[in-house]
Amino acid sequence: MSSGTDDDEDRFRRAYAGNFAPLLAYALRRAQPEDAADVVAETFLVAWRRRHEMPAAEETRLWLYGVARRVLANQNRGGVRRERLGERLRQQVTAVVATELGGPDPGNEVPERLAVRAAFARLGELDREVLMLTVWEGLEPREAAAVLQVSPEAVRTRLSRARARMRDLIGNDPALPGHVLDVLTASTPKEGR
Amino acid sequence: MTDEYLDRLVRDADPYRPEVIGRLDGAEQALLEEIMSVPTLTSVVEPPPPRRHVLARRLAVAATAAAVLTGVLTVSTVLRDHPQAQPATPTPTATATPFVYSAAAALKAAEDNPRLLIDETGWKVKTVYGFAQESGTISFTDGARELEMTWYPGDEYGGYYNDRLGVSKPEPAKVDGWPGDVFTYNDHDFAVMLRPRDDVFVEMRTGQRWTRAQFDQVLADIVQVDANKWLAALPPEIVTPGRVNEEAAKVLADVPLPPNFDPTDFGNIGTNDYYQFGATVVGRVGCAWINEWLRAKKAGDDAAVQQAASALQSSHQWKVLQKMNADGDYPEVFWEYADKIAAGDEPHGWAEGLGCPE
Repeated sequence: MSSGTDDDEDRFRRAYAGNFAPLLAYALRRAQPEDAADVVAETFLVAWRRRHEMPAAEETRLWLYGVARRVLANQNRGGVRRERLGERLRQQVTAVVATELGGPDPGNEVPERLAVRAAFARLGELDREVLMLTVWEGLEPREAAAVLQVSPEAVRTRLSRARARMRDLIGNDPALPGHVLDVLTASTPKEGR
Repeated sequence: MTDEYLDRLVRDADPYRPEVIGRLDGAEQALLEEIMSVPTLTSVVEPPPPRRHVLARRLAVAATAAAVLTGVLTVSTVLRDHPQAQPATPTPTATATPFVYSAAAALKAAEDNPRLLIDETGWKVKTVYGFAQESGTISFTDGARELEMTWYPGDEYGGYYNDRLGVSKPEPAKVDGWPGDVFTYNDHDFAVMLRPRDDVFVEMRTGQRWTRAQFDQVLADIVQVDANKWLAALPPEIVTPGRVNEEAAKVLADVPLPPNFDPTDFGNIGTNDYYQFGATVVGRVGCAWINEWLRAKKAGDDAAVQQAASALQSSHQWKVLQKMNADGDYPEVFWEYADKIAAGDEPHGWAEGLGCPE
């Protein structure tokens, strides 16, 4: 029979293995590569320290997204990192994204993507996050609501508004010119909603 | 541009490259070992506990048919006009006054939520959601500003409170004698979290731009009322649990029902405004008709296939959908599916779009 500590550790390892890729994706969608690696490292550090409270099964990922969101907000506010973990991950992610995969250079992007990302940058923070969680992370409204700590009703309303705003911004021709530099990290998330 | 097309554009603009995972050269494993070697005594940034009840709650309406609620409903006038608690007597007819509710379930649900109202002229209820759940939301507006009240099970208070300590220093406050703490997000955005009482705690958060003085004034105008008065204050557009069957019957008056469909078995679908209620009821009919169409098609029952397709196509004339069409996209989604079926094709994602029971 294993001890409670062993169970906790095994559970954490499983949570890490099962959620590392989606968490890295989440972070890379919202931060520059080196910062994204830090977000992943700190998020899992929180999870490690709070592993006895980490919810089970399908809720684990939502909980981790919620942690990552707060870590990211803290980072954008210029919060001092308390740990310096994951140096190797930081270097590796930065190198892979920036060089081998072409990086976030707008010159590598097709106009439609640029127009969409430019429009994204003009949404309110929560509207944008609801749309990202829905389309990029593939969450249902109830799941996005759990991540954002708002009601599912609020998520549905925000999603509808975000789509309407995107339509207005993109128009019928998505290949519109737009300013896209740093659009993914342009604004400081407003916490708590 | 449809939602589907817009979502595809957004999906195509995803900056994430999945290939990165395969090129980390063991860095992820190294991070895991680093993390697991860290002592676990220090507190770091953490979220409040997950809202399990939210995850367990089935959506009444799926994302593709997300509601855009524009209806604004009067509360304070009702409250002032009916200062005395109303007896819970049976509702005699479907057109009975909204100030009388019949079901014990409605009273029980009302007793279980905090029943707070802004007792000030000009403030109206905009949305009520999750009324019969252990957590729910009621939002108010005065036209320029909004205040959203959300209540949660009391045992989740600690996690939320600890989380909000990261927002600002708490300042003691009281709402109708109920002690709590004000948190300041910025100069125009405030929240107050009331401490657990009767196994529930409440968080109120501002929407749009507020000043602190305005926030304090509105907090002073909030009153807690008894269950009867709270129910009475809800405008007639809100369908409380005790009125589900009679309101469903009205919604379904001109709607052809699928075989074996029980129009009185909606369970406790809580308190909804007309749009959400209509979507729930008519959605179940749509789900049942599409399932019937699929069954008949598989069985080669041409008559039943035709009957289901005709019933769905008649949805363009259903009064409930026509009325809802001014307030949101649900009818458009419903009609799109109906037209696909009529053309002989199974629409993609219809179960999620209509919010079909799992």
